[in-house]
Amino acid sequence: MKVQPALPVIYDSTRRGSAVIEELREVLNYHHLIWQLVRRDILARYKRSFLGVAWTMLNPLGMMLVWTIAFSQFFKSSSLPSYPAYVLSGLLAWTFFSQTTTASMVNLIWGGGLLNRIYIPRASFALAAQGTGLVNLSLSLIPLLVVMLITGLPIHFSFIFIPVSVLVICAFALGVGLLISTWAVYFPDISEMYQIILVAWMFLTPIMYPEQILPEAYRVYITMLNPMYHMVKLFRIPTYYGRFPTLEEFLIPFMIALVTLILGWVVFARKSDEFAYRI
Amino acid sequence: MAENSLPASQSHSIINLEDVSVEYRVPQEQIGTFKEYTIRLLEGKVKHRVFKALNGINLSVFQGEVFGFIGQNGAGKSTLLKLVARVLRPTRGRILVRGHVAPLLEVGAGFHPELTGRENVYLNGAMLGFSHKEMEVKFPRIVEFSELGDFIDAPIRTYSSGMLARLGFAVATDSQPDILIVDEVLSVGDEAFQHKSFERIQSIKSQGATILFVSHAMSSIETMCQRAAWIHHGKIVSVGNANEVVDRYLGRVYDEETIHLIEDSHRGFHTNEGRDSIKISQVKILNNQNSEQHIFHTGETMKLQINYQAFQPIDSLEVGLAIHRQDGVHLTGPNTTFDGLDIKVNPGFGGVVYSIPSLPLLEGLYNITVALVNRDGNLILDYQDRFYSFRIENRGHKFPEKYGLMTLGGKWKLL
Repeated sequence: MKVQPALPVIYDSTRRGSAVIEELREVLNYHHLIWQLVRRDILARYKRSFLGVAWTMLNPLGMMLVWTIAFSQFFKSSSLPSYPAYVLSGLLAWTFFSQTTTASMVNLIWGGGLLNRIYIPRASFALAAQGTGLVNLSLSLIPLLVVMLITGLPIHFSFIFIPVSVLVICAFALGVGLLISTWAVYFPDISEMYQIILVAWMFLTPIMYPEQILPEAYRVYITMLNPMYHMVKLFRIPTYYGRFPTLEEFLIPFMIALVTLILGWVVFARKSDEFAYRI
Repeated sequence: MAENSLPASQSHSIINLEDVSVEYRVPQEQIGTFKEYTIRLLEGKVKHRVFKALNGINLSVFQGEVFGFIGQNGAGKSTLLKLVARVLRPTRGRILVRGHVAPLLEVGAGFHPELTGRENVYLNGAMLGFSHKEMEVKFPRIVEFSELGDFIDAPIRTYSSGMLARLGFAVATDSQPDILIVDEVLSVGDEAFQHKSFERIQSIKSQGATILFVSHAMSSIETMCQRAAWIHHGKIVSVGNANEVVDRYLGRVYDEETIHLIEDSHRGFHTNEGRDSIKISQVKILNNQNSEQHIFHTGETMKLQINYQAFQPIDSLEVGLAIHRQDGVHLTGPNTTFDGLDIKVNPGFGGVVYSIPSLPLLEGLYNITVALVNRDGNLILDYQDRFYSFRIENRGHKFPEKYGLMTLGGKWKLL
């Protein structure tokens, strides 16, 4: 069968461009694998419980309910026509971010045994985590729609902007996911630490409270300097606020996401050759 | 060591390693936490030690050969295979690989317990670089080879370990890779499946694939491989014909064992400090040329020399021996009285030699007990229980008998 005179060289350890470009090329070659990893995550989730994928929708709904009961009187404000929809829209964006970044890290550490046995692009795990997150987010748009209809918010034409918002958040989450995965390979306790950081970060981001209640003195730090403030807002504008973002409202999160993604990718790709020694 | 013994003219080299080294930077102390690391970093106390997993390896593997790697654990065999599989990159040097490499995955690596066998096959296929379409073609063959039948649609957490092993093997070997890496995984499943997997590897080989084979079972290396490399502390010690490399490797292993045996023999201890009339001062295991030796082959001459130091005159000394196989079977118990040797000892040094003209023992490890007895009153004067050891090893000596514990040296004749 394979009795050709000489097989072409397909791997030469010295002929290698930049690690950053190579990782990108390999990820494209292995798109089947990323798709299969997403499929695995979703199928496994679906099989583990009776309600399966329904939990993807019930989970944020439940959280929303708890927060609405707890805080809707407290944060009553004329600027918030529907508190449940406000919380849910913020929660969806936040959950997407926290889940995908955590999953990037956990999948790399726990699935890392594979990296020792077989070549697969190391960024596959982080990309698959984004894929899974996107599927979950799309499903949870259904409860958001329902809540908006029930609480009397109009469904605006601006809903078509959601994919753009989501892509920007996705790029940011991927960048952060790659960065913390790299650290977590070297220091296992990063993944524990990150959970605490996430809680603090969530409370510092206007998700369950309107940004107007923040004291004037700190507001600029909590909003302008917090990338997740811009991401959450970019998601809320076409959904909860029912309008298209202004150029500034779009460009700030877009630039943050782009820079984070490039930084994360470069750091990850440069260090990824060492992962097999470490995991 | 020159790369010889294969007609290189008919084959092209498919893997080339040129002066390849792999270095790990290992922190001198284990720093597990980020906090600790930060503190150390600020104190300037993060020290690294360079560990050379592989050191200047030069090797060519030719198309179509089965190439074995032997060596102790941690010698660098697996690191070398990982370089070929692209899992690791060399710190120095160059690796050229011509063709598609398929590692034989550890049983169930990358399998998800909740998913069915079918779903896992597709996932595993994707890890090997196959698309969904390609896997659809392979799938029926994989199911057939793995003998899973209807179980293929059950979650694999319900599988037995044998079923998992069969499925993993079936997925990994369904493709016809140019290079197959087999790292001690052939011992999976029941005997029938082992036979089947061995045949599968043979058929992959017969279709022109190159196989890299790591095993601690020297017999598999000798039967499977044409050539082999012995790796020790990250360097190739010997490369060439598999039988020769295995011989050299085992020779070295036995040499090390000999050193241990000799060290043990000279430790000198006495069970009989109280009765200080005489003591065993030295016991030597000698060969035909009267030099110390601890590994013999069946049929060789062995001499046991026992020296003693007496402190009082003894009228009737008896020197006795016992030889046990390592598992405790008592083989023989010769002594000077049986042989009619009468020993009268005056204070000072003396000794006896027991000569065995042709050792009848077969392969194994044996222990020697030495005793000094006063025949008057049957008193044990000094005694060293199973304190000296020797090994019978017939490798390279073409001694055909191998069953039981000894040869009777009998002859067969046709009537």
